Amino acid sequence: MQVKLLSEHYDKPEFQTLGGYERHGGYVVLAKALKMDPNAIIEEVKASGLRGRGGAGFPTGTKWSFLPKNGEPRYLLCNADEGEPGTFKDRVMMEKAPHQLIEGMIMSSFAIGCKKSYIYIRGEYTDSLRIVGKAIQEAYKAGYLGKNILGSGFDHDMDVYSGAGAYICGEETGMISSLEGLKGQPKLKPPFPAVQGYLRKPTIVNNVETLAAVKYIIRDGAASYRKHGTEKSAGTKLFSVSGNVQRPGTYEVPLGLPLKVLINDICGGLKPGRKLKAVIPGGSSAPILTADEANKVTMDYEALAQMGSMLGSGAVIVIDDSNCMVDMLSTIMHFYHHESCGQCTPCREGTGWLNKITHRIAHGHGESKDIELIKKVSEQMMGKTICALSDAAAMPAISFVTKFRDEFETYIKKGQLGAGGAAHA
Amino acid sequence: MPKIKVNGQEIEVPEKSTVIQAFKQAGVDICHYCWHPGLSIAGVCRLCMVQVEGMPKLQIACNTEVKEGMSVNNTSDVVKETVKWGLDFHLINHPLDCPICDQAGECGLQDQYMQFGSYDPEMAEPKVKKSKAVDLGPTVMLDKERCILCSRCVRFTDEVSKTNELGIFNRGDRSEIGTVQGKPLDNNYSLNTVDICPVGALTSKDFRFRQRVWYLKEADSICPGCSTGCSVKVHYNEEGVWRVKPRVNPEVNGHWMCDVGRNTYKYVNLKSRLLSGKVGKRDLWQEVSVEDAVRSAGLKLRETSPDAIAVVYTGQYTNEEYASAFKFFKEELKVKNVFHWLNNPEKVNEFDGLLFRGDRNPNTKGLENAFASFGAKGSWDNLQAGINGRKFKTVIVFGPEDQSVFPDLDEKIKMFSQAENLIWLTACANKSLDSVGGETWQIPVKTYIEKAGSFTNFQGKVQDFKAGTTIVPQALSVSEAVELMAGREINWNLRPRGVGGPKTNYAVSDRGEL
Repeated sequence: MQVKLLSEHYDKPEFQTLGGYERHGGYVVLAKALKMDPNAIIEEVKASGLRGRGGAGFPTGTKWSFLPKNGEPRYLLCNADEGEPGTFKDRVMMEKAPHQLIEGMIMSSFAIGCKKSYIYIRGEYTDSLRIVGKAIQEAYKAGYLGKNILGSGFDHDMDVYSGAGAYICGEETGMISSLEGLKGQPKLKPPFPAVQGYLRKPTIVNNVETLAAVKYIIRDGAASYRKHGTEKSAGTKLFSVSGNVQRPGTYEVPLGLPLKVLINDICGGLKPGRKLKAVIPGGSSAPILTADEANKVTMDYEALAQMGSMLGSGAVIVIDDSNCMVDMLSTIMHFYHHESCGQCTPCREGTGWLNKITHRIAHGHGESKDIELIKKVSEQMMGKTICALSDAAAMPAISFVTKFRDEFETYIKKGQLGAGGAAHA
Repeated sequence: MPKIKVNGQEIEVPEKSTVIQAFKQAGVDICHYCWHPGLSIAGVCRLCMVQVEGMPKLQIACNTEVKEGMSVNNTSDVVKETVKWGLDFHLINHPLDCPICDQAGECGLQDQYMQFGSYDPEMAEPKVKKSKAVDLGPTVMLDKERCILCSRCVRFTDEVSKTNELGIFNRGDRSEIGTVQGKPLDNNYSLNTVDICPVGALTSKDFRFRQRVWYLKEADSICPGCSTGCSVKVHYNEEGVWRVKPRVNPEVNGHWMCDVGRNTYKYVNLKSRLLSGKVGKRDLWQEVSVEDAVRSAGLKLRETSPDAIAVVYTGQYTNEEYASAFKFFKEELKVKNVFHWLNNPEKVNEFDGLLFRGDRNPNTKGLENAFASFGAKGSWDNLQAGINGRKFKTVIVFGPEDQSVFPDLDEKIKMFSQAENLIWLTACANKSLDSVGGETWQIPVKTYIEKAGSFTNFQGKVQDFKAGTTIVPQALSVSEAVELMAGREINWNLRPRGVGGPKTNYAVSDRGEL
């Protein structure tokens, strides 16, 4: 069930160091890649069907081919701002295998003709910052970074940049603003980053997992990578499983795996005596699945979209019957209210409004019309703003009150307690 | 030029236009706050939503470029519903304090709610509290609760004044406008932020709480503050003039004007405006009617030999006034000695790079043209020598309308008054003039707001303007004054012809000293 492609050596502490990484085949693929035609690498990535692992699932090779074909300076930014509640796989990757990311980034940079890349690491990830920073220094010393890498004539510099704790800096243009030293706010599109991004130069932003996966596509070939996963959702994916399971953690599985297998077999199922109530399949912004839906769905982009949710960053939050949905939604709304950057009105005001309504309900002052109001406000927040934070707040709100309407109604009527939920403090 | 359809109406728009510009060109109303034609595109208010045929999601008109054959509308139900909610989002934390808000009557929120909103609000939560009456600097006050965070003022200080005092601090619905590191909003263009603020968040310290805007009338005019000659609107009522705002003129001032120009309304209202003619000298002043003063001055001029007359002009009068004065002195009285009194000669060529120029006269160019076309020239040294050498017996000065921009005023008055007779045309009374020793005539003239005419700006562009209101009804234009000096008659209309100031209606305000 588990396929350890990227995570094959994650259990070995030495994999964190350059020596250990090299003993397990590190930087061999880089040498191979640097002898290839850069366009061939892009074609290989396209053929592999690799899709962005950060949340949006956009085909990586296609994204790369949006770059202008001239020699204009360009940047590769690695998005390691992992802020989506429930997600922690990038952290695991950076701490267990920093060189894997660096190697993937060098060859990706070579493919797109980029001489400078940055890894934008979430500010709270102090260990990741330290470990990746040290790994970059090791790579420089070993000649994997800097001038004329491995005698190929390709020069590349890499650096880390620490975020300052804003969720919105995980949005690619928000990240670019932040990296530019500006307030972390998404930029108006068009122009898209591939045309005008960091410092107004063409820029590609990819997730940690996406860039690390490039190495394995080049190592084994696109066809081999495609053996994992489904036709449209190719390859493996690292899922961060949290919540009410026996063995929460980061697990690499092929895309298309049934969710119940992930929960019951890989993560050891729920605690004894507990019943599955719901699952958030792709981070807190993904619409919630009921237990029935969760038992049916497979973990790939298409199946989840069909179910009205999304794969997102692969953060699976398992919720058993000891949880109160009203409480949970009000916690999620607090998060998005706190993190909205405030530039677009529907998001700035909508997240605050939803936060107030859900908190009022949670504190026992809900009214029956609130459920419809939550839906109306959320619907008007969707697709109306510069970035998707507004949608990220609206989607859970709509799905919670629609799928667990009974529980919300009961809670509102009684002024507390969710249906079947635990006592509300 | 691409042809597109705006709400079904086919129009041709310039290449690279945005959809919102096409709406404006077609004269179709579209709701928006953050977009301003003089600033970069922010795309944050999310109100200019339009439906573009063939696109699944609604688009913001301000950041959508037109394409040949495009069909856009803002009349579909989806757009209308979105705009309604967009307005609701803007208003949920707005204090709705219109009855005590200075912007009421010219507020984007009020207007657009009436036009595009008209919904029943469902917001029942407590509003976000922010600070009110925040002092941003010498000219502007901020109410953070009224602010809708459109970022126009921030973009203005960033892109136009390039002074960067303002920023948006904090995030989410706690976002607020503020000044950077306590640095006040203090630049010569600061009040433009008040103009472009679509709500009552930024208000002018000079104007707030003074008048309700619906009691004001407006007249188009040209700012007399410097040789740039910005197009302006003058807002007035029967109590006087209350403020000056810029009018769009792409060739001269774009959308903006400077704070110095906005202050030009003040001397127009000053208590020190000259309200009747004054004839006499130190300690022997006699207040006479304007007509008597100007006719007796005319008599004195006609008695004096032309060679003993010196005419001094400032660049503060209209082209038409110069024409009639030059005609009278040159052709009728055959006076050859004319002089151009240029204040601050060393600063004349200064320019702040945006609008404000060191030449603080609206019509220096027009005066120079008049000198040239009448073949007149006079060196300042000759004037001084002529007065000192008793060659000039009678000096007539077309004095400054705005005396504050003539730093050498007292010194020059001292010099002129050494002549036997001094005829001084002016809008405002002057203390140093009251203590001169020679025989003096003080004749009140109209300010720019009270007369029609044209100024020629530094570019040589002749800009016409109309009379707005009358503050001092007895005051004459220069053209009228020279007619009377020549011994002819003018049309007095309903103007009071006696001594003293206006009794009713034209109350001269004691507001705002310069």
